[in-house]
Amino acid sequence: MNPVLAHLLIRLYPRPWRERYGAEFEGLLLDGEGGLCNSLREGANVVWSAVCERISPTQGGNMDRDPLSFGAMVRRPSALVPPAMSLTALAIVMGHIAMYGHAREADEGAAAHLWQILMAGQLPVLAFFAIKWLRRAPKQALSVLALQAGAVFASMAPVFYFNL
Amino acid sequence: MRSTRNVVVTESGNGMGHYSDPPLLVLASLANGPKHGHAMIEDIERLCGTRLGPGTLYGAIARLEQQGWIEPLPPEERRRPYRITADGLRFLRAKLTTLHQFAEAGLQRLEPL
Repeated sequence: MNPVLAHLLIRLYPRPWRERYGAEFEGLLLDGEGGLCNSLREGANVVWSAVCERISPTQGGNMDRDPLSFGAMVRRPSALVPPAMSLTALAIVMGHIAMYGHAREADEGAAAHLWQILMAGQLPVLAFFAIKWLRRAPKQALSVLALQAGAVFASMAPVFYFNL
Repeated sequence: MRSTRNVVVTESGNGMGHYSDPPLLVLASLANGPKHGHAMIEDIERLCGTRLGPGTLYGAIARLEQQGWIEPLPPEERRRPYRITADGLRFLRAKLTTLHQFAEAGLQRLEPL
């Protein structure tokens, strides 16, 4: 098989798979029989196998992602939910400002109540994340907490800036 | 274990009569000594007429290795040979025994016909 094509085909596989098998798999593809028909058949087989590997990755042994890595940690629900709530709160505030302006109202409306619920509601989730992960992986947990704090400040900024 | 849909059948074959369970074929190929990918493809084709595609072969290798049924040996240039483990041999023996019993029972049913 053409080396460039072989290299491109291997890029279709997930990174952990490539890191483990990429070099020897490329060697196998380059050793393959020549001919357009064979290359097309093998290429189709590799594409299909790469799709299968993405849908149902090989699990276990050295293929598992480190559960304490930043990437794995940031995908946990307790890490994702607080920023999602902060960003929803920010969207509510920005939507309210866009529709009604930033003049301070005498009475708190539905938008203000929703914003308060979203901001207060994420505190138990934040506490849960901090308690669970700060001891196990302090560096990665602090990075995620910094991300969550950034989202909190982003949603609070317009409220304090416009004195809503 | 991954399905066997993406097996490349040889040109001489008609898709019938070829046993195609890639992990089992890989284990059977490694039963008589370590082999690298290309040697496994050739050996499996001689063994049962099925030519595994490279993606199918490495899909099976990855799963077998993670299950501890085969293990890699030091690479030889770009090629990495694999060998079957004791667990892999036990699994292969059990699987082939089951297949043997199944084949015998099936052939006995065909005898009166």
